[in-house]
Amino acid sequence: MRETYGVLLPGIDLADLTGKLIVIEGTDGVGRSTQLHLLRPWLEQQGHAVVDTGITRSELAGKGIKKAKEGHTLGRITLTLFYATDFADRLKNQIIPALRAGFVVLTDRYIYSLMARAMVRGLDPAWIRNIYSYALKPDAVFYLRIGVDDLIPRVVFSRGFDYWESGMDLHPSEDMYESFRKYQSSLLAQFDTLAQEYDFEVIDASADVRTIFTQLQSGIARVLDGRIRERFAAPEAGSSEKPRPAGSPVIEVKERIPAPAVAATED
Amino acid sequence: MKRYGEHRFPGKLFVVEGIDGSGKSTQIMLLNEWLKSEGYGVVFSEWNSSPLVRDITRRGKKKQMLAPSTFSLIHATDFADRMEHNIIPLLKAGAVVLCDRYIYTAFARDVVRGMEPKWVRELYAFAVKPTVAFYFRVSLEVAMKRILVGRKGFKYYEAGMDLDLSENPDESFRLFQGRILDEYEKMIAEFDLMVIDAALPIEAQQSQMRQIVRGRLTQAKRLRVAP
Repeated sequence: MRETYGVLLPGIDLADLTGKLIVIEGTDGVGRSTQLHLLRPWLEQQGHAVVDTGITRSELAGKGIKKAKEGHTLGRITLTLFYATDFADRLKNQIIPALRAGFVVLTDRYIYSLMARAMVRGLDPAWIRNIYSYALKPDAVFYLRIGVDDLIPRVVFSRGFDYWESGMDLHPSEDMYESFRKYQSSLLAQFDTLAQEYDFEVIDASADVRTIFTQLQSGIARVLDGRIRERFAAPEAGSSEKPRPAGSPVIEVKERIPAPAVAATED
Repeated sequence: MKRYGEHRFPGKLFVVEGIDGSGKSTQIMLLNEWLKSEGYGVVFSEWNSSPLVRDITRRGKKKQMLAPSTFSLIHATDFADRMEHNIIPLLKAGAVVLCDRYIYTAFARDVVRGMEPKWVRELYAFAVKPTVAFYFRVSLEVAMKRILVGRKGFKYYEAGMDLDLSENPDESFRLFQGRILDEYEKMIAEFDLMVIDAALPIEAQQSQMRQIVRGRLTQAKRLRVAP
């Protein structure tokens, strides 16, 4: 049976959540959207019904957060709780119903990004962990990991600096470049800690799009009960149930890989 | 992030709590008038009043989109906005801040809606501990008599209709308030709430309140110019 990180919300039944919850985590501009755009059609081709969701996409609070951030007026605790509201709404109204219906839920970030952002802003880690203790444990978390030196050209040369992605609320006196460097470096450090604690599968996001996609396919195939693996992988001598070495490609990527999309700014 | 009980500000924070019909809003209004006449810098902060979050809460309630979790979190968001932008800066400046409802309202309501008591208390760990939290204790019967005079029907969440206690809004409201009352009773010792007998005459309650508040006003700033 599925579990939460400690607290069970009223009215939520954890039985029969037969779908799979797959998380793609990573910092701003690391290429999550590009991968998600490839993963969805690929999964659908295999016959999986897919729901995707991501931060600020709740009906209740999504628009409110975006509106509030335009004015840069939110305090740190307020912003953190606003995100938690958005997440709770999506959990109840998008993620859980989809899992109950047997869907693969692909989520662009999960509680970990929200926790990392809050901790970088100096909020109490115990407090933030308690808030998200009602979240469902996912089936897998794929963390697209990148160093700040590889990240900077990607972000800057595609869309420029964004106020929030640069953590300008934390370093208002710095220029955007300095602030971005500091902010993203501390964010990445938080992610590394979380990666250990929550057992992320780490993928090197400085690789090219195709390599990353192949690794994600391999990892996701493993999560989906090997259903895809049986169909597409060349049978191995002896037993087809033998575990595949991590990171080895599962299927050839037949689709043309588009150039990395210029992703939207931080949600 | 400072936690409940760790804040040290020159200002003073007085809050009133109690079920609907306990008379707490009348009492804090009278306290406000008195403090102003005494020359204190008094600011009144209401539950659910942050302009930022208000529209979302209102829409969520109107469309009945709120689950216990989102009901709890959206109110905490609203409260955090008031705490960060309003209450804390005012207390730093030495003001007397008055709140009609505070975190204890959330503890009572959210727990009745099925949220874990420990989770909700930790959620509000960023709140400043009040100088005094007055709890206006009243029986359900007396409160219902006061409320039902001149009132036509309850709103969906106000009556706790989301809890499926009864299909009749008046009956649902009564059952819901009864459970809230039980939660308040549990919190008296836990949070050292100052109990005021809300069945007493209004004047008697107000005089008790003023006596208690007077004893706690050291350091709060008086305005130099007479009102």
